[in-house]
Amino acid sequence: MGDYTEKIEKAVSDLELESISGLIGEALEGGVDPLEILRGMSAGMTKVGELFERGEYFLADLVLAGEVMKEGVKVLEPHLKPESMGAKGTVVICTVKGDIHDIGKNLVGTMLSSAGFKVIDLGVDVHEDRIVDAVREHDARGIGLSALLTSMVDSIGDVVKALERAELRDKVKIAIGGACTTEELARRMRVDALGREAVEAVKIFESFMAS
Amino acid sequence: MDSKLKRVVDALELRVPDRVPVMDVMEEYSNIYAILGKKPLPLGALFSNPYARKIIDRVANLVNRSGLMNREMDRFSYDRTAASVKMGYDATWVMHVPIWKFSDSRTATDIYGRYYEVVFDKKGNLSTPMYKGGLIKSPDDWKAWDKSDLFKFPERTNKAFKRIQKDFGDKIFVFAGFLFGLFENSWQPLGFERFAVAIRAEKQFLKRVIKFYEDHFCMMLEAWADADVPGAIYTDDQAFRSGTMISPKIHKELYTESFQRITETAHKLGMKIVVHSCGNVYPLLEWFAECGFDGVHALEPTAGIELGKVKEMVGDRLCIVGNIDITHILVDASRDEVFEAVKQSIKAAGEGGGYILAPTNSHEDMSIDRLRWMLEAVEEYGYYPLKIQSL
Repeated sequence: MGDYTEKIEKAVSDLELESISGLIGEALEGGVDPLEILRGMSAGMTKVGELFERGEYFLADLVLAGEVMKEGVKVLEPHLKPESMGAKGTVVICTVKGDIHDIGKNLVGTMLSSAGFKVIDLGVDVHEDRIVDAVREHDARGIGLSALLTSMVDSIGDVVKALERAELRDKVKIAIGGACTTEELARRMRVDALGREAVEAVKIFESFMAS
Repeated sequence: MDSKLKRVVDALELRVPDRVPVMDVMEEYSNIYAILGKKPLPLGALFSNPYARKIIDRVANLVNRSGLMNREMDRFSYDRTAASVKMGYDATWVMHVPIWKFSDSRTATDIYGRYYEVVFDKKGNLSTPMYKGGLIKSPDDWKAWDKSDLFKFPERTNKAFKRIQKDFGDKIFVFAGFLFGLFENSWQPLGFERFAVAIRAEKQFLKRVIKFYEDHFCMMLEAWADADVPGAIYTDDQAFRSGTMISPKIHKELYTESFQRITETAHKLGMKIVVHSCGNVYPLLEWFAECGFDGVHALEPTAGIELGKVKEMVGDRLCIVGNIDITHILVDASRDEVFEAVKQSIKAAGEGGGYILAPTNSHEDMSIDRLRWMLEAVEEYGYYPLKIQSL
């Protein structure tokens, strides 16, 4: 049993897109607990994050790891109880109004899902009212906003103001990330955290959930 | 040779010019037409008008076939050069990008296989369309993709730059440019997820695509050289804020041969060639020099780039171009802050020549006043011999 989870962890961390589905299928047929398999995949993704932080993996490797995870989850999901995924809490993510870049946002989504968060991905070019609605509907405690374009940073402030108007600002924490975001911008926009890399997202949102 | 042109050539050849040259990277409608005191074609208003949009939705193909957008691109490239001359720059990076076709009033595609959302700047002008994804998902899609417009591009760009060089060639050093470079053209038409998979599983396919665009780029260089354009900027974002998008090892494996041929072709044609990439390019700098580029542009402070470090790493082989921040300094900084930023950049990279001061990029919120302060500051601090001690 443990042998399979180790193999699955390694397949994810070695970015083995071609073998992950077969491996998970074999594990399921062999009677391995689907939750154990999920833990193996998650551990593999953690290793991918570590390799990225050490400079051994690059953006394309993170993205490929995301593809490996997607392939694996396709096979695994029908065998999991709905509550097994997303146990760490709910996070709403999107690219801000006026901006449609999504590589960073998608990576953050993959990292958070892999780490056990329920991720509500609203997509790109998202109006602040939709974010407010999603936070309310899903009782989210974290928001991740991605912005690549310098000319779109005001959209971050619009989200903060909309949450304040909806009296939700105290119930939810906001992290921003993307090419144009800086510590100074995070202070100016009154958000709670800045993520410089997608792999930082897990730590940031874990700290949000703990607070 | 005009003193401005000589100043730029000296810097590119790593000699000490009379003064640090300044290059314009401005490419946004609103600033260009404000500088020239002209009004752009009201395309933004046209595309925003609900009635006009309904018509465009029905006749998008006719709009494409009419050549209206291509003529507007020719005019835009000409006007942006005129604006650079009027501002007093020594060099300008002129993009000429007649690559888009409207699918309807909201979406467009390009000649390479990307699709876009049609967007407007805050003043309602039609802006550079925003990339949404790729249309080429497989080697078969690539094979089937209609490439005929790609082969018309060199002739069109040749005509546009002949006019630019005729009217401005003795007043400013023109770096010609277009979208896109080989890296961007090998991933964006696929989408990054699909590209990441192809790096692992379909390298031969990627190599065919890269080779095709290498040949195309060389055709563009020939077209520019025929128009007497003295320089080219090879525009290809290969990094993001904290590093390269793929491993430098794979960069080298996939692109070295092509980059070498491109720089050799430029040099044989008597042109200078500078590579532009946004992001943290530290891992690629040595390689850019090895590939034969004359200079490297962008060098964004927001990506953690320090000019002094770049100068130390490759300043003896590459002309350093750029580094003036466009998130604060050229947007809403005080005059003192702009002067200080220029002073620090010259101090870090100007000693011994080989530095062209320039913004790292352009966007619609950049302030013409701050660009003027940048130029004034170079007049104050940029003359050689630099008074480094007092800077």
